Amino acid sequence: MVRPYAVKGKKRKKSEGKHYREEADEQQQLEAVKRTMFHKTASNGDDEQAVDTEKDGANGDIDELDGIPLAPSDQKDVNRAGVTFILEKASLEVAKVGKTYQLLNSDDHSNFLRRNNRNPADYRPDIVHQALLMILDSVLNKAGMLRAVYVKTDKGDLIEIKPNVRIPRTFKRFAGIMLQLLQKLSINAVGKREKLMKVIRNPVTQYLPLNSRKIGLSYSSEKLVKLQDYVETYSNDTSLVFVVGAMAHGKVETDYTDDYIAISSYPLSAAVCIGKICVALENKWNLL
Amino acid sequence: MAKTSKSSEAGDKNRNKNKKNKNVGPNAKAMKQQAPKPNPFENIWSRRKFDILGKKRKGEERRLGVARSRAIDKRKKTLLKEYEQSGKASVFVDKRIGEQNDGLGEFDKAILRSQRQHRVKLSKKSKYNLSDGEEDDDYEFEGFGALSERDDFEDEMPPDEDDDGFEAKKTATLQQKFLDRGESEIEENKHKTKKEVMEEIISKSKYFKAQKAKDKEENEQLMEELDNNFSSLVQSKAVISLTEPGKMNALKALLNKNIPKENIKKDEFSDVQNLQTSNQDKPDSYDKLVKAMSLEMRARPSDRTKTPEEIAQEERERLEHLEEERQKRMLATDDLSDEENEDTERSSSQRPRSISGDDLGDSFMLDEEPRTKRGWVDEILERRDAEDNESGEDDFSEDESAEDGSDEEESDEDSDEKDLSVKDWEQSDDDNVETDLGAEEEDIEENDDADENKMGQREPKKSQNIDAVESSKSLKNSSGSKKINADGKLTSARLELPYLIEAPKNLEELCVLLDNCSNTDIVLIINRIRASNAIKLAAENRKKMQVFYGVLLQYFAVLANKKPLNIGLLDLLVKPLMEMSTEIPYFAAICARQRILRTRTQLCEIIKNPETSCWPSAKTLFLLRLWSLIFPCSDFRHAVMTPAILLMCEYLMRCPIVSGRDIAVGSFLCAMILSVAKQSQKFCPEAIIFLRMMLMAAKEGNNISNHDSQFYHLMELKVLRPLLCIRECVNEIAPLNFLKIMDLPEDSSFFCSDNFRASILMTLVETLKGYADVYGRLSSFPEIFLPISTLLLEVAEQENFPGALQEKFKDVAQLIETKIDNHHTLRQPLQMRKQKPVPIKMLTPKFEENFVKGRDYDPDRERAEMRKLKKRLKEERKGAVRELRKDNHFLYEVKAMDKAQMEAERAENFGKVTQFLQEQEHAFRSGQLGKGRKRRSS
Repeated sequence: MVRPYAVKGKKRKKSEGKHYREEADEQQQLEAVKRTMFHKTASNGDDEQAVDTEKDGANGDIDELDGIPLAPSDQKDVNRAGVTFILEKASLEVAKVGKTYQLLNSDDHSNFLRRNNRNPADYRPDIVHQALLMILDSVLNKAGMLRAVYVKTDKGDLIEIKPNVRIPRTFKRFAGIMLQLLQKLSINAVGKREKLMKVIRNPVTQYLPLNSRKIGLSYSSEKLVKLQDYVETYSNDTSLVFVVGAMAHGKVETDYTDDYIAISSYPLSAAVCIGKICVALENKWNLL
Repeated sequence: MAKTSKSSEAGDKNRNKNKKNKNVGPNAKAMKQQAPKPNPFENIWSRRKFDILGKKRKGEERRLGVARSRAIDKRKKTLLKEYEQSGKASVFVDKRIGEQNDGLGEFDKAILRSQRQHRVKLSKKSKYNLSDGEEDDDYEFEGFGALSERDDFEDEMPPDEDDDGFEAKKTATLQQKFLDRGESEIEENKHKTKKEVMEEIISKSKYFKAQKAKDKEENEQLMEELDNNFSSLVQSKAVISLTEPGKMNALKALLNKNIPKENIKKDEFSDVQNLQTSNQDKPDSYDKLVKAMSLEMRARPSDRTKTPEEIAQEERERLEHLEEERQKRMLATDDLSDEENEDTERSSSQRPRSISGDDLGDSFMLDEEPRTKRGWVDEILERRDAEDNESGEDDFSEDESAEDGSDEEESDEDSDEKDLSVKDWEQSDDDNVETDLGAEEEDIEENDDADENKMGQREPKKSQNIDAVESSKSLKNSSGSKKINADGKLTSARLELPYLIEAPKNLEELCVLLDNCSNTDIVLIINRIRASNAIKLAAENRKKMQVFYGVLLQYFAVLANKKPLNIGLLDLLVKPLMEMSTEIPYFAAICARQRILRTRTQLCEIIKNPETSCWPSAKTLFLLRLWSLIFPCSDFRHAVMTPAILLMCEYLMRCPIVSGRDIAVGSFLCAMILSVAKQSQKFCPEAIIFLRMMLMAAKEGNNISNHDSQFYHLMELKVLRPLLCIRECVNEIAPLNFLKIMDLPEDSSFFCSDNFRASILMTLVETLKGYADVYGRLSSFPEIFLPISTLLLEVAEQENFPGALQEKFKDVAQLIETKIDNHHTLRQPLQMRKQKPVPIKMLTPKFEENFVKGRDYDPDRERAEMRKLKKRLKEERKGAVRELRKDNHFLYEVKAMDKAQMEAERAENFGKVTQFLQEQEHAFRSGQLGKGRKRRSS
C-alpha cells in the first residue's frame, strides 16, 4: 500500500534534522566524556548536579502553580494487566443496495435481505454499536484499563478497535464508519495518522496477551457465577479476555476460550452483559 | 480456479440475455448470428476477497478463449490489412454509398442511394437543368393524385416511413417546400384579374370589421368588470370609513344608476355606439364625484413630538416675549392697568392656596431664611441618617426641631417622608430624585395647609419656602400660566426680574446679579439664565454654560463658607447644579477633579503645621456631598468619585483628632463614606479605624492591651485622649445638628459636655451598624469587626453610661457577633487539592458521510486530480504496451506463417523440380528418353 501524501517529505526532513541533532549531541557527549576521562576532574559530577537541580526546578514550577499541594492520587497502577474484549459473531456486512454500498441492518434493508434469501433478523449491527459504546464509555476505559476490543464479524473478518476511539453516538454515523472501515480496511483519527480501527488477520489469539485468561460468556453455560466473585479469583497481573456474542440469536462457539460462564440466569443483551463485566472489574480495581 | 457450477450458472444467464435480445429486435436477430453456447472450459474465474451481497458479478468471469479469438479477429481486420497493404503502392477505396456501413442490408443501401439521387435533383444547382422525362414524372409524383399510378414508388415509400422516420420527415418537408414555391411562382407569374382584386378587398374589409367588433367586445367586458369592482368597493367598509356620509349616498345613487345602464348595454348590443355617444355628452355623475373628492380636504398629519432643541427654542422665545412685554410695561407706566393685571394674576395664583391670601412677609423673609427647616440638602442628609439608623431616629432634624421648640408636627412629617425618601435614595438617579422631590414638596404643601392654623407664627416662612419650590417647579415644567402666577406674586413686592439674562462670566457678575435677591429669586434667575442660554439653542451656548457652571459652583462654595450658613439657598442651588452637570458632564467632572486636587494639596500643606486643625471646612464638606449626589457612587472607578472617596479617607486617616468638633466632622465624613460605599460595597478601612478609635476614646481607662499593639501604633499618630468618655450621668440623648456644630467655635464648651458625647457616640454607633450591614458579606468580616464588637461591649459596661446608649451598643455588638458566627460556620478548613484522575485521551475517528470506495477524499483537489491522471496514464500505458506486444506477436505469427508458407512453397517447388529432374534422370537412366531409348533399344 502506498504511503499517504503530504506528510511524507516533511516528516523525513524532520526526522533527518532530529537525527543530525542527535548525532551532534552524541558527539558532544562523547567528547565531553573523553575530556572528563582524560582530565579526571569533578566537572562531570558538577554537570550532573546541575541537571538534577534543573529537574527539581521544573517540578517546583508545576507545584507552585497553585499554592496548595496536591493530594497523592491512588490510581494509575501500572502493574494492572487490563482487560480485552472480543465481540464474536458481529453482524457487520456491507452490501450494494441499489447503487450505493450500505451496512446491512434489519430495519432499512429487510426487503433487500428477503430478496436475497437472507433472514433480516440476523442483521443487527446496532448490537455491536451498543456494545462498543458500553465498553468504550466505561470508567474502565477512561481509567486506561482497556487493552483493545476485537470484533469478529459473521463473515469472518476481524476488526481491531483501539481503546481511545470515540465511537459515534448515533447509529447512522456508526454505520458510516463501519462501512468505510470494511471497505477501506482502516480508519484514521482526525488530524492524526494514528489508526484507530483496522481490519486485521485472523486468528484473534495471536493478538491476545500471553498469560491471558479467556472467558466466554454464554447463557447456555452450566457454570452460573456471580461475576464479582469470579473476577476476584484472578490476580491483578493476569489479563482477562472476555468473549461476548454480539448477535441476536445463537451461541458463541470458539475454540480458544478457557472457560465458559453464565453471569445471569436470564439471557442478557450484549450491552448489559458488558456493563456488568465493566462494573465488576471497576469494583475489583477500585475505579470510581 | 475454475468452478464448474458457477460457470454453468453464468452460462444460463448469458443464454437468458440472448433470449431477451431475440425478443427485442427481430432485425438484430437477422444481423447477428446466434452466439454459440459458451464452452465451460473457456471460462476463467477469480475469487473475490469480499463477497458483497447485491453486487453484480459483472466481469468476474472471463472467457479467455473467446476474448482471444475476438482480439485476433480484430487484428485480422485491421492490422493484417495494413500489413498486407504495406507492400503495395496503390489502394482501392470503395466509396459507394452505404458500402462502408456493415449494418445496412442491400435494401437499405438502395434506399440511401435513391435519396441521394433525389437530393441532387432538388438542389438549387439543378434548377436550371433542362428536365428529362423522368423529372417531370417526379413532379407528378408530388401531386398526390399521381401516387397511385406510380408503381415503382409504392414499394419504396412505406418502408421508408417505417424504417427511417427521419428520412421520411425530410422528404415531407421537401415536398411542402415545393408546393409553396409552386404557388408563389404561380401568383407572381399571373397578373391579377379585376375580380380577384375586388374579392381581396372585400375579404380584407370583412377581416377588419371582425377585428373591430372583437375589440369592442373586449372593452365592454373590461368596463363591466370595473363596474362590478367599483360596486363591491362602495359597499365595503373601507370606503365608508374614508368618505363622508353624504358622499356615500351619492356614490350609492351612482351605483344604482350604473347597474340598469349596464343591463341596457347588454341587451342592446347593436345600438351601443349611439347610446355611448349620448352618454358622453351628458356630464357623468361619476366624474362629478371624482372631482368633488379631489377637492376635498385631505387628512392632516398631527404635530410630531418636539425635539429637545425645539423645546429649548420655544422656552427661549417665550422668555423673549415676556421680556418684551416687561420692557413695554416699564416704558409705559400705566400703574392702574398694571396693578389690575397683577391683581388678576395674583387672585389666580392664590386660588390653589389660601395661604397666599394674607401673605405679606415677602420682604422680611430673607432674615429668616437661614433658619428654614426643610431644605434639600438637609433632607438628603436626613435620608442618609435614616438609612444609617433604620429605626427611624433622625438626629439632625430632631435636633433642629428641638431647637425650634420641638415641633411635633415637623418630626411627624419627617418620619412620614422617610420611607419614601429612603427608597428614592436607593434608586439614586438624578431625575428620579428630582421628580420624587417634587412629590415630596407637594406633600409638604398639603401638610402645611393642614397645619396652617396651628402654626400661625411659622406661616410666612413656610409659605415663602413653598413659593420658592413652586417657582422652581413651574420653571422646570415651563408651563406658561403657572410661571406667570409665580412671577406676578414675586413682582408684587419688588422690582420685576428681567426675563432674558446673559450668563455671567465671573463671580462678581453673578454676585451683582444675585445681590439683594431672595432665595427664590436667585433660583429663578439661575433658571432663566439656563433657559435663555440653553445648550441646545446654539453651539456657543455650551461655552457660556460651562463658564456659568464654574461660576455657580464657585458661588456655591463661597456660600458654603459663609457664616451664618444660608442652608436654604444651598439646597436650592443643588438642583440647578445637578441638572447642569448632566448637561455638561465632562466639564462638571473636570471642575470637580480640579477642586479635589486643590483641596488635597491644601490638606498636604496644612497638615505640616500641627497647630492648625486640618479637618475639612464646611465648604469642602458641602462640595463633597454635592459631588456624591451629582456623580454615581456605585462605579468601580469614577473620574470624580474615586478621588473624592480617597480624599475623605485621607482626612480620616491623617488629620489628628484634637477637639470634639474634629470628632463631629470625622463622624460626618464616616457617614458620608458609608452612604457612598453602600452601593458599591467598597471597603474603606480608614472609616472603620476611625470609628474604632472613637470607641477607644470613649473607653475610660485608656489602657490599651498588648494584643492590639499594632492598632496602638496607629493610634499614636493621632493624639488621642479619652475625649468621649462620659463622666456623668446623662439623662437624654439629643441628636446633634451638624450645621450648628459647624457654626460653633472650636473651643466651645458644648464639645466638652457629656450631652454632646452621648449624642456623638449614638451617631457613631449608628454609622458603625451601617458599616456592619454593608460589609456583612465580606469574607474578612470577622477579622475586621471582632475587635470592634469586644470594644463595644467594654465601652457599654462602663459606669455612667446612659441606658439607651448601652442598649444600642449591645444591640450593635450582638448584630456583629451573629454575623461573625455566620461567617465562622461557613468557613471551611484548609484542604489539600484533590487531583482528578485524568481520563485517557479519546480520538475522533475520521470518516466520510457517504463513503464511496475508490473516490479520493483528499481535500487538496489538485493533488487528487493529479493522482487520478497519473493513475490513468499508467493504466493507459500498460494497456498500450500490452496491445503493442500482442500486435507484434500477431504480426510475428503472420510473418512466420508467411514464411512457413513460402518455405513450404519453395519446398514444394523444389520437390517438384527435383521430382521432375529425378523423373528425367530416371527416364534418362532407364532409356525411356528418345535418344536413350534408341540407345537402349539399340
